Amino acid sequence: MKAKHTKYLPLLPVSCAYFILFLIGKNVAGMWQLMAMLAFYCALGQAFNIFIGMTGYVDFGYVAFLGVGTYGMALSVSRLAGFPNLGLGVVVIGLILSFVMAGALSVAVGAVALRLRGAYFAIATVGVNEGFRYLIEGARIWGGAEGIIFSGQLTETLGRDTASSLSTFWADVMVMIVAVIAAVITVGYMRGRVGYALTALREDEDAAKVMGINVTKYKIIAFITSASLAGLLGACAWALKVMYVFPPEAFQIQYTIEAIIIVVLGGAGTLLGPVVGGLIYGLSKYWLAVVMPGFQLLIFAPIVIFIVVAFPEGVVGWVKRRAKGTAIQSYLL
Amino acid sequence: MALLQLENVTKRFGGLVAVNDVSLEVEDGESIAIVGSNGSGKTTLFNVISGVYLADEGRVVFKGKDITTLPPHTRAPLGIGRTFQIPRPFSSASVRENVAVGAMFGTLSGAISVDESLEVADRYIHLVGLTPHTDKEAGSLTPVEKKLMEIARSLAMRPKLLLMDEALAGMHPRDIDEMVAFLKRIKAEEGIAIIAMVEHIMRAVVGFAERVMVMHQGQKLVDAPTAEALRDPRVVEIYLGRPAEDETHARG
Repeated sequence: MKAKHTKYLPLLPVSCAYFILFLIGKNVAGMWQLMAMLAFYCALGQAFNIFIGMTGYVDFGYVAFLGVGTYGMALSVSRLAGFPNLGLGVVVIGLILSFVMAGALSVAVGAVALRLRGAYFAIATVGVNEGFRYLIEGARIWGGAEGIIFSGQLTETLGRDTASSLSTFWADVMVMIVAVIAAVITVGYMRGRVGYALTALREDEDAAKVMGINVTKYKIIAFITSASLAGLLGACAWALKVMYVFPPEAFQIQYTIEAIIIVVLGGAGTLLGPVVGGLIYGLSKYWLAVVMPGFQLLIFAPIVIFIVVAFPEGVVGWVKRRAKGTAIQSYLL
Repeated sequence: MALLQLENVTKRFGGLVAVNDVSLEVEDGESIAIVGSNGSGKTTLFNVISGVYLADEGRVVFKGKDITTLPPHTRAPLGIGRTFQIPRPFSSASVRENVAVGAMFGTLSGAISVDESLEVADRYIHLVGLTPHTDKEAGSLTPVEKKLMEIARSLAMRPKLLLMDEALAGMHPRDIDEMVAFLKRIKAEEGIAIIAMVEHIMRAVVGFAERVMVMHQGQKLVDAPTAEALRDPRVVEIYLGRPAEDETHARG
């Protein structure tokens, strides 16, 4: 029986990873942007992993939740700019709005699509992202195709210095915080009833049902959690960082693909996997862009294929199997 | 009142009537063997009872409650456990976690914690004799061990009725005898009714079942106490083969 105090030990390596990224970024000149990008990829993988890794379902519309989160922040800052004395309150309200809007969209999508199984679910979600983008553009809501540029309002509300440190520093720190929150939730789920239910339904949905598991309920729990965290990431890493939002950028399907690669590389359904996957993916993407600009994808594809073939359970999944029965085991989940 | 009542249950797949107007009553603590050739509707009948399929016609009543249209996950906690023809373990999870899932979600109380479930799991793993494999991945077990694990997993649900699909298929005769003895023991200890499909293994039928139900082309052909059922000429014809003189006659 695992003792209570060891339950959260696996959080240690995850938190350390983000702390190291933070320290390097803060202390080595010119490294902050790279570290922030790595942290974003790790966090994206972690949020996505709660759904894709734990349920085994693939959501091709995942980036829509980041997009909606981006809009949440943009709407808050641009619409509340006129109110006096709100100050940083607009950012706080923006975060709440992003969280709620992404969560609400996931309830709407999940209630319909999660009744479908496996590949059918994946197909159904492909449309969500594009559909939402064209809804915003076509119906001209939230600025339509022109998007929302809110750098002016943000500067006006917070002052130039605060606004600029918010977008160049604190936005990235908030990404790291969201990542650690995602990790805490992941551990709580994995060690609790939710984790048992999700493992069962991932392995065999019919068997899980006759064991008394309400599979739709648990899939929706994972889906909403994962989506709401994505909303926060969109608000921090996208909206606050660039201070504008355009539909074609906020709903780029490329980020969903990247998130899938990160989770699969690192180890789907493991806690540390998305962090490792995010680092491998982010670093190789960056490095390949430096040494062979334009050829990144050509080089990267075989690397991904190699890792997936060599470690079908992902890097962390493989290490976890090796570490069984050793002292490292209690730090891996 | 019977534990389980099937009233004129029919299940169709397109034009195929897999289960045709079957009625059955199962009392508390009874053990029934269902026999029938492949495609005779046994597994479909199990699926209708456990809720994997919904009956097209007729009623399914469990403990006096009409469960005909309930989804499987709400039937299980009422006390219906089942194992599968081909074992379906949650492969990446350990044996202990597999069995704990049964304890966690398969009981009515619902409030049982993860730690308690793991303790319950240990008890049932011990009962089926898998204690040395507790921490192994369920996917790495041998087929017989997987079967035992499934039994432990469904027993951890504290069922009143256990449906065992092809409980003994592919087992060594020595294992079959052990399994029959084991089933009799848990039936007595846990006070549960068991419906088991046991195919052609007559020694198991005789050893285990109080009653035999024979299915043929989706219909209930015979439902009688074991000794009587095995003497029934229709059963003899379908399961033990036609008498030799008929064959000679046919050839001649």
